[in-house]
Amino acid sequence: MTPAKTIALFPEASYGAALNCIGIAQELRRLGATPVFICHPGFSGIFSDYGFAEYQLGEDTSAPATDWNDFIERHQDAFRQSPFDQLESYVGPTWDAIVDTAIRVEEPLRKLIARLQPDAIVLDNVVMFPAIANAGVPWVRVVSCAETEIPDPLVPPYLSGCTETPSEDWERFSERYRAVTASAHRRFSGFLTQSGLRPPPPSIFLEPSPYLNLLLAPEIIRHERRNRLDEELFQFLDGCVRHEAPYMPPRFASHNEAPLALISFGSLGAMDVAMMKRMIETFSKLPYRFLVNAGHWRDEYRDVPDNVFIDAWFPQPSVVEQASLFIHHGGNNSFCEALYFGVPSIVMPYCWDGHDNAKRTEETGVGLHLDRYGWSEDELTYAITSLMNDAAMRARLKDNAVKMQEAAGVKRAAEAILKTTQKRPAIPPSAPSGISPSSGEIAGRDPSPPPTPTRENNDLPP
Amino acid sequence: MSSETRRTNHRHVELAQKILEIASERGMRPGDRLAEQALASLCNVSRTPIRKALQVLLERGVVTTEAEGGYALSADPATMPRLEGTAENEGESDVYAAILRDLAAGRISDQQTVASLQRRYAVSRQTVQNAMMKLADDNLAERAAGQQWVLKQFAVSSDAIAKSYEFRLATEPLALTMPDFKRDIPAIVSLRQSMLILRSMSEASFDQKLFERTDFDFHMLIAKSCGNPFMSEALINHHRRRRSSPTAGHANLFRLMQSNLEHMQILEHVERGQMELAADLMRVHIQLSQSQRPRLAGRGVPPAFKLVSR
Repeated sequence: MTPAKTIALFPEASYGAALNCIGIAQELRRLGATPVFICHPGFSGIFSDYGFAEYQLGEDTSAPATDWNDFIERHQDAFRQSPFDQLESYVGPTWDAIVDTAIRVEEPLRKLIARLQPDAIVLDNVVMFPAIANAGVPWVRVVSCAETEIPDPLVPPYLSGCTETPSEDWERFSERYRAVTASAHRRFSGFLTQSGLRPPPPSIFLEPSPYLNLLLAPEIIRHERRNRLDEELFQFLDGCVRHEAPYMPPRFASHNEAPLALISFGSLGAMDVAMMKRMIETFSKLPYRFLVNAGHWRDEYRDVPDNVFIDAWFPQPSVVEQASLFIHHGGNNSFCEALYFGVPSIVMPYCWDGHDNAKRTEETGVGLHLDRYGWSEDELTYAITSLMNDAAMRARLKDNAVKMQEAAGVKRAAEAILKTTQKRPAIPPSAPSGISPSSGEIAGRDPSPPPTPTRENNDLPP
Repeated sequence: MSSETRRTNHRHVELAQKILEIASERGMRPGDRLAEQALASLCNVSRTPIRKALQVLLERGVVTTEAEGGYALSADPATMPRLEGTAENEGESDVYAAILRDLAAGRISDQQTVASLQRRYAVSRQTVQNAMMKLADDNLAERAAGQQWVLKQFAVSSDAIAKSYEFRLATEPLALTMPDFKRDIPAIVSLRQSMLILRSMSEASFDQKLFERTDFDFHMLIAKSCGNPFMSEALINHHRRRRSSPTAGHANLFRLMQSNLEHMQILEHVERGQMELAADLMRVHIQLSQSQRPRLAGRGVPPAFKLVSR
């Protein structure tokens, strides 16, 4: 009997990537493979909940204690800024933190991969880890951010929130992006070089996998591209939604038969309790039911209106399935789940690709974009009621949902991943001559040529 | 329906549930006859309420009438989830459940008067008083000075689930190792039968309601069997309160299926009298049941501290 393929999934320490990978892992398990999760320090407990083995990189205690008040204080203001202003205040520092993490986990990751001996590695992140490129097994990149993460001359710059019509803003944003990420990029390039890998082009921290790249974006929101992506290497999944237990909405104190709206800004986005309370005040006057994800701050809410229910966690896909409206931050997982179930979105972004998805929501007519802070009660009310009553949009979204569900993204992802395990390992893009790979694991391997992604994709920095 | 009629009905539904438990413990199968007099003796009531309870079971298609009179089972009691309408899940129209729900949802404060609740729920003073007495019986409310009542916020707060696990981790393994622990073999056999049915189900067909019933019955069985009345009382009260709490949290199906297997393992060791082993497995079971999701996570966000959230 052939032993089950071990697939190591390594999502970044964010719920979007983690839950996306859980969907794929559920399908891998169904297909007879053994999916296991590699967890960033402190980011565990999610996968075991779904019955998957977790391997943590380093001990919890090794990480410095987090002062959350300080963290929130530092970033609360940044979340009120435009995507351009956030480059300086949030994007640059975040890339610094991401590169720090990549360097810090390199050694434990290399050791863990050697121990696990996976048949393939699934990387759902925004940054490369040399231990993965050097592991000697195929690796798959999951692009769980917006499609803008894979650049193209016709796609607006990543994180810019720009319209699809090219403008001076594109170049202005890209230049500034290059400048604010330059120091992190220099450090990262040095790190890759030391690890025996070729440094990435400017502004790029993760190049496409030479084996397989999976993108979530469904057709309804996809961009036109000048450089066609190689279909063998880039597969669009049309959503990638995990299986959750059915959700029974709680009994509300009123409006129990009314349409349901879900409000979730991710675990981080729930931090602004004052803003959430302002929204809840508006909800109290509307003839709908509202489920509000308050995350860590659930107990901060008092005098909750009768048509509102607040909780720290919802099994999102099972809730979205029953919802008539989803108000979220434009996290790619949330956005795709709304589309997968044919539910219109009100996107209120505060950082990262949320801006891109908010713009795309409007451009493609799948919902509305509302500024997270700059709204009046009337504007929020109008946004909610207009989407609740937009029968034409709903019908179009429901038709699209049928297509997405038929596309069975998680199944296709799992099958494609298992197929890569039959590919011969590629030699990672090597460092300039004279520098040897830090890991000797690939020495002597048959240098069969790896499939090559379309390099033009990386010509235009974000 | 008047509140009096509803209460009467709830009593009959509870008695109907008891009849199913007896039938299950005795390994009864579809077609087996349910003798009114025997049931009345076992439930310590007269035949009249038994007849009403059988009527409830007839309405729900669990029993059939026999040509010569009387009732027979038409469903396997081991496969049945708890009947809708028993005291613990009667809730929807009941003021008791509404108070707990609104307290947990942050809609009402923990300080209340009968008058304020009467206004909120538009019911009679007597109905609110009855609900408050029941909440007090269940240790979920207590009288304060004057007309005030204090609702026990801690029992329904977001922290309640974590604290409940902490309490159970300290007590349930201990209950298994009490010197006078008495094994209730018929109850064990009946429970195992339901657990085997659950074990045969896939993730897609898993019956959550049946799991909820077996989960409750399993932990109650340990509580009732421990042989120490103080421990028994504390655990029974705690499990009942846990079941009536609206903050039950959300568990993944995979975890529920694992949990069922853990219940079976513990039960096997209890049956064999390997109580220390059973206690160790209970410790593991309770710890595995706690979700350890991080409170906060995000790109570039430093490692988060933990939150027990189920």
